[in-house]
Amino acid sequence: MTPVATRLAGLLALVAAGCSGRPPEPPPTPPNVVATIREQQLPNIELVTHEGRRVRFYDDLVKGRVVAINFMFATCRNACPESTQHLVEVQHALGDRMGRDVTFLSISLDAERDTPEVLRGYAEAHGAGPGWYFLTGKHDDIELLRHKLGAYELDPVIDADRTQHTGLVILGNEPAGRWKAITALGKPVRIRQAIERTILPVTEWPTGAAVVNEVPYEENERGKEVVTADEVAKLLVRDP
Amino acid sequence: MFSRRDILKIGLASGAYGALGPGPRRRVFADNLPSSPRTTPFVVALPIAPIAQPTAAFATRADPGDCVNVDGSTAFHVHGPRVVPTNSQFFLIHEQARPHSFHPQLPANVIWGYNGMAPGPTFIARSGTPFLVRFVNDLPQNDPVGIGEPISAIHRHGGFQAEEDDGYPIDTFCTGQSRDYFYPNEPADGLVQNEESTLWYHDHAIDITGPNVYRGLAGFYLSFDAVDSIAGELDTNPQALRLPGRMVSLPSGEQFREFDVPIVIQDKLFDRNGFLVFDTFDHNGFLGDKFVLNGAIQPFFRVARRKYRFRFLNGSNARFYQLFLSNGQPFVAIATDDSLLEHPVTVKSFEIGPAERVEVVIDFTNTTLGQEIFLVNRLQQTDGRKPDGLVSPGTQLLKFIVDRDAADPSRVPDTLRPVTVGPQQLLPQVRVKRTFEFERSDGAWVINGEFFDENRIDAKPKRGTPEIWTLKSGGGWAHPVHVHLTDFFILSRNDSTPPVLERGRKDTVAIGGPDFGDVKILLPFPANFRAVPRPVTGRFVFHCHNIEHEDMRMMGQFDVQP
Ligand SMILES: [Cu+2]
Repeated sequence: MTPVATRLAGLLALVAAGCSGRPPEPPPTPPNVVATIREQQLPNIELVTHEGRRVRFYDDLVKGRVVAINFMFATCRNACPESTQHLVEVQHALGDRMGRDVTFLSISLDAERDTPEVLRGYAEAHGAGPGWYFLTGKHDDIELLRHKLGAYELDPVIDADRTQHTGLVILGNEPAGRWKAITALGKPVRIRQAIERTILPVTEWPTGAAVVNEVPYEENERGKEVVTADEVAKLLVRDP
Repeated sequence: MFSRRDILKIGLASGAYGALGPGPRRRVFADNLPSSPRTTPFVVALPIAPIAQPTAAFATRADPGDCVNVDGSTAFHVHGPRVVPTNSQFFLIHEQARPHSFHPQLPANVIWGYNGMAPGPTFIARSGTPFLVRFVNDLPQNDPVGIGEPISAIHRHGGFQAEEDDGYPIDTFCTGQSRDYFYPNEPADGLVQNEESTLWYHDHAIDITGPNVYRGLAGFYLSFDAVDSIAGELDTNPQALRLPGRMVSLPSGEQFREFDVPIVIQDKLFDRNGFLVFDTFDHNGFLGDKFVLNGAIQPFFRVARRKYRFRFLNGSNARFYQLFLSNGQPFVAIATDDSLLEHPVTVKSFEIGPAERVEVVIDFTNTTLGQEIFLVNRLQQTDGRKPDGLVSPGTQLLKFIVDRDAADPSRVPDTLRPVTVGPQQLLPQVRVKRTFEFERSDGAWVINGEFFDENRIDAKPKRGTPEIWTLKSGGGWAHPVHVHLTDFFILSRNDSTPPVLERGRKDTVAIGGPDFGDVKILLPFPANFRAVPRPVTGRFVFHCHNIEHEDMRMMGQFDVQP
């Protein structure tokens, strides 16, 4: 079929659909992405900060802000120490933009042991400053939030292991409806750059050399081996 | 030996085909994603993207003028004044937000497309005539839909192009900016065996490729040469393959390619009002429940009783397909990914993973007028991990309606594209092998334990020197792995001879899970560009083409050494 005919056929089908005899309905309006995400992904659960303040996740922590969210718990020994250390470095790099342009939310997966007092100790031990909240709450609420934010495993056995969920930073610009995630285990500069991309309008995103070269050049040819003539000979025999 | 999967156990498709969805696609907890509204299948004709039209030659710009940062710094790959061969053709493509109809029963959706179209215009290139394409980013800055970011890098997937023209993910340009890409349209190292066939171009911007491609930023780039020629079935050159396909001029003067049909298959999800949905909180691989072919949900295509060439591209973010014809008729496969096969291969079905291409000839000669034949996907997939397996009857994606007779001067010769430098010639030159393990780690994906870093080089192959890479996957995840710059031979899959459709050249290969397993590939790493003579050097990426995995940094880079 020619492109003209193809377009005509499409047009005719559209016309046919519009003339089915039913009273015309008002055309549906596209969804508001900010409202959709608020309703579907950001449960307004009750949490307690490491300073003992009762807060609502959406109303008090996320609404109108740029946030960087991770899951952790104080006794975690897998990815947590590294994730937290990276966020500490990012906090220092962000300087006075912390709390003003971006808020860090570290949410405990061990609601039973991570009381506000424990989390306050953890925050102080790591030098967490203004704009960084450590949060605890009801186990089921936090499990819901974790799944809503995408920090989950498809395999239920792995999902039950809470140490598996501590390697992500979920980045959100709530008023813009822009959400994504990045690994907390990459270089802290990369996390900071991702946070800046969440804060800044896209035309101001650093690109190219400015992004690449902010971290020193590195080579790591892991997985490289010298191949032997014997091995190649075997492959040659097998070649169909 | 029909496919990677043992279809005989299941039996061939037969009987009635329902318009079944792909089955449940639900997260354990956050099951707030809708099912798409019902749409009547086969009421829209398969759209065919128009052919990209060259424009008058323009002065190329050095990229610093285009991609300048607020602090004055520039793109990573900066090319100086362009040396463009005098026979080059010039193109101007605008990335634009435009209303698009996926189906007449759904409202118009604002997509992002090349020249405002999804899929974008189809490039038709002839080996020996380079293209200079300026892509202009006209995407809106404050887009209300929330799918994608208006920042771009364009990758010509499967193409042989220099590092600054490869869509390196950090060479991005924003709204109001542009970038010039030089496509040499030459076979790697000047070898006839490396003449390109079906390529595609798509967005490759760091961390947000998934939503940008899902929003519509993808198109075909078809490459022809002296034997697989643009004249196609009408070519009088005795060496010509005369595969199905020819150019025709429409009354409007517009050129149109007949009997040679590119089809990109994508899965999309819509909310109850029919607006496009994407889940930026899901990193496992986004699946839709509507099957969109060349931008239309479950279209029909009128065919004559003769042979057709179809170029299937899986342009989905994470879904694998296995395609059958409802009448049990076979496909004659003639190309995989960027390359024609040495010999055609007859298969009852073929599997196609994200970013892979399979070209087939379907012969409608022995059908009856009025007959309806369906293209059916029988591979079920319910999450981003891997396909679940074959189901019956599967989902009808496309209806062929046989409605006329037409002369058929085309043929499918027994020899298509002989390989003169293959494993026998390359293997004795191999000195280096590498193993790359693609694994899930702490909620994201790593290659050999590392996330992509913009300034870490993971391999330093030497130009013109072949290498063997073993690609492994842990944890039962399937990953369609794509290597830029060089296509490759598959030496083995799970230490066995690869299936028939994987014995040609590939640029993307599925690994992992019980079906795909570990794969050993032989990569030639070309030495020279010829249209603009220069050695092949520099940084190129390789990555998982489940785009959610890619965006979560399941990517590495190699720096080709002089
Ligand atoms: Cu993957």
